[in-house]
Amino acid sequence: MFEDPLLLARLQFALTAATHYTFVALTLGLAPYILTTQLVATLRGDRSRMTAVRFWGGLYLVNYGMGVLSGLVMELQLALNWSGLHEMFGYTFAAPLALETMTAFFVESTFLGLWIFGWDRMGRWAHLACFAVVTATAYASAWWVLVSNGFLRNPVGFEMVDGVAHMTDPVALMTNPAAVMAFGHIVTSSLVVGALVVGAVSAYHLIRRGDPHGVFGRGVRYTAITMALTSELVAVFGGMQFGYFGEDPPTSGLTYTAAEIEAVEAASEGGLVRAANSTGEILMFTVYAVMFLIGPTMLLGWLVSRRVQGVRRRRWLLAPLVAAPVLPYAGIVAGWVFRETNRQPWVVVHHLTTADAVTPMSPGTAVLSFGFFTVAFAVLAAVTYWLLVRYARRGPEGGPLAERRTEHPEAPQEPAAPVHTF
Amino acid sequence: MDPLSPALLALLLVGYLVLAGADVGLGMLMPHVARGTEQRRRVVAAIAPYFLASEVWLVGAVGVLAGLFPVLEHHVVTGLWPVLAVLLAGWLVRDAGLWLRARVDGDRWRLACDGAVVAGSWSLASAWGLTVAGLLTDGLTASPFTVLCAVAVMALFALRGAAFGAERLVGPADSECADVAARDTRVFARTALGTVALAAASAPLPGGPALSALPVAAALTAALLVALAATSGLAGPMLSRHTSAAAIAVPGLLVALAARLPSTEIPSTVEVFVWASLVPVVPVMFVGQVWLYRMTRRPAGAPTFFA
Repeated sequence: MFEDPLLLARLQFALTAATHYTFVALTLGLAPYILTTQLVATLRGDRSRMTAVRFWGGLYLVNYGMGVLSGLVMELQLALNWSGLHEMFGYTFAAPLALETMTAFFVESTFLGLWIFGWDRMGRWAHLACFAVVTATAYASAWWVLVSNGFLRNPVGFEMVDGVAHMTDPVALMTNPAAVMAFGHIVTSSLVVGALVVGAVSAYHLIRRGDPHGVFGRGVRYTAITMALTSELVAVFGGMQFGYFGEDPPTSGLTYTAAEIEAVEAASEGGLVRAANSTGEILMFTVYAVMFLIGPTMLLGWLVSRRVQGVRRRRWLLAPLVAAPVLPYAGIVAGWVFRETNRQPWVVVHHLTTADAVTPMSPGTAVLSFGFFTVAFAVLAAVTYWLLVRYARRGPEGGPLAERRTEHPEAPQEPAAPVHTF
Repeated sequence: MDPLSPALLALLLVGYLVLAGADVGLGMLMPHVARGTEQRRRVVAAIAPYFLASEVWLVGAVGVLAGLFPVLEHHVVTGLWPVLAVLLAGWLVRDAGLWLRARVDGDRWRLACDGAVVAGSWSLASAWGLTVAGLLTDGLTASPFTVLCAVAVMALFALRGAAFGAERLVGPADSECADVAARDTRVFARTALGTVALAAASAPLPGGPALSALPVAAALTAALLVALAATSGLAGPMLSRHTSAAAIAVPGLLVALAARLPSTEIPSTVEVFVWASLVPVVPVMFVGQVWLYRMTRRPAGAPTFFA
């Protein structure tokens, strides 16, 4: 089984994409919350809210680091292992990715650097503006990636010239329902991931009665409201995507005739891919059903606690929330497995099979690269989750962005550097 | 053929080499210029703001390569797959070390992360050396030129890192990091000068470069030799900031202007689409880069997120 470079390349991509996306989802989910908190903190000059920004911002950065690491590998691996896809669909599939790298990631990484190093070096409005740019570009990044991904599912807006797809209609590419609906689904489900992570961390500290700055009380309220408002939308955007699932893409027939398409689909491997597909679907719907109840339950609990004496003191009632992030994480990975396996045996539906898209490589190098990146990813993801949990448990005083000066007033400050600059 | 898109690709590649050369090179030299935990912390603190803003140039270059030059991308990937896989692995290891270093307060943890930064920086520089050699010879060849070109590119990275460290590591009076780095500029300039001259001499041997524009390559190599010669002498560290930047840009320019690369007409719709989406964002990209480099010109006094 492991002599087959195609299988290894597919497994490697699945693992890379799943790992990458779990970190991306939290980035997308936390960014708006941090931005809003920083906006309120800046408007009111509220120190307790700034403590919250530093706390959630620290978790954001630890998570973002792994998001970048896995994203770099994802981009390069896509180019290295799937050159057949790029050869045929470079001008259509990879063009949005090119725009993602420059207009989104380039700006995001630079302004995140400004945000990290700018706490004490720029005005508070400029600092807020940096994070606003980071948030906007994080979402722009997701948008461009989904334009590319949606194209694989529902290829539109091109013509074939000598076996190479040439873009003819950029508007059709950008308004592709497979991209637009997916973006809505990704945005809302990421907000759910962010809300439940905020909720879990907040519940943990509230149960232990450690909330001197009000960070976690506000966190739980944010979770309740976000869960109540966005859960339905996740299902709406997800459900709308089933509309084009059974249909042929409008460009069907440009590469293969209907008979050839049928032959390719009939000859495609079933077992493993189909099993993964149905597992993904079942898991996705199951966790969703549970998550759907979280928002209303929390709002109900909040109402009851305002009317009925003594409920507020029973903080252990929040305990289930601490374990809740397992649900959206399982849901998003299952959702991607469902989406990506659903398309097989095609990488670009009705135009290019996954088997034809893989770079020809020798089994030896394929095994070596698969082994290295899988082990490296497992180690890095495990370390990142360990760090996230550790920082989450430490609370606002122990975060990587926590104000050090008040913490160690006696800490030796380095003398101001001489005027040497670079 | 419209020269704008190839110029964009070349700009991103050369921008990466010049900017990231500084932090990759300093990563290579860390064991040499820094002794002890505190000095190594200062080296990582010097690298940290820069790597966030410099590696994005390469990400952008890969994006443009895939989106606007798929034929060239296919050519590069199929010819250099193992080298590029090493480049990616080195990049991952190096960035992991940088992101994780300050997360755990323990000497062994920091040592492991510093080791990752050093090993990753060396892998990156050597993979770049082989990539440049492979692109100039149109497919990797087992020849003296390949070896000499790879060593020369590594020396250019090290020179850029030494020049960066000579200015950026100036700190407390008892720290010699900056002085060590300053002395290194001359050593690496001489190494690079020697290997570039040898590589140029070995070019006519079998397996040497297959170029499309020999006069351009000769002029660029001459410029490289002049830049290196200026840094090899007494004026070393003072000029090295500029000469190291000019020197490390040359391999990128050589590949862009003189290598034999497949060129195809980019379909006009995709080119217009990419440029129309890119141009409105260029001012933001520019402001962010300039702002970050200006803001972090002086090292931070207190430890930051990275070190």
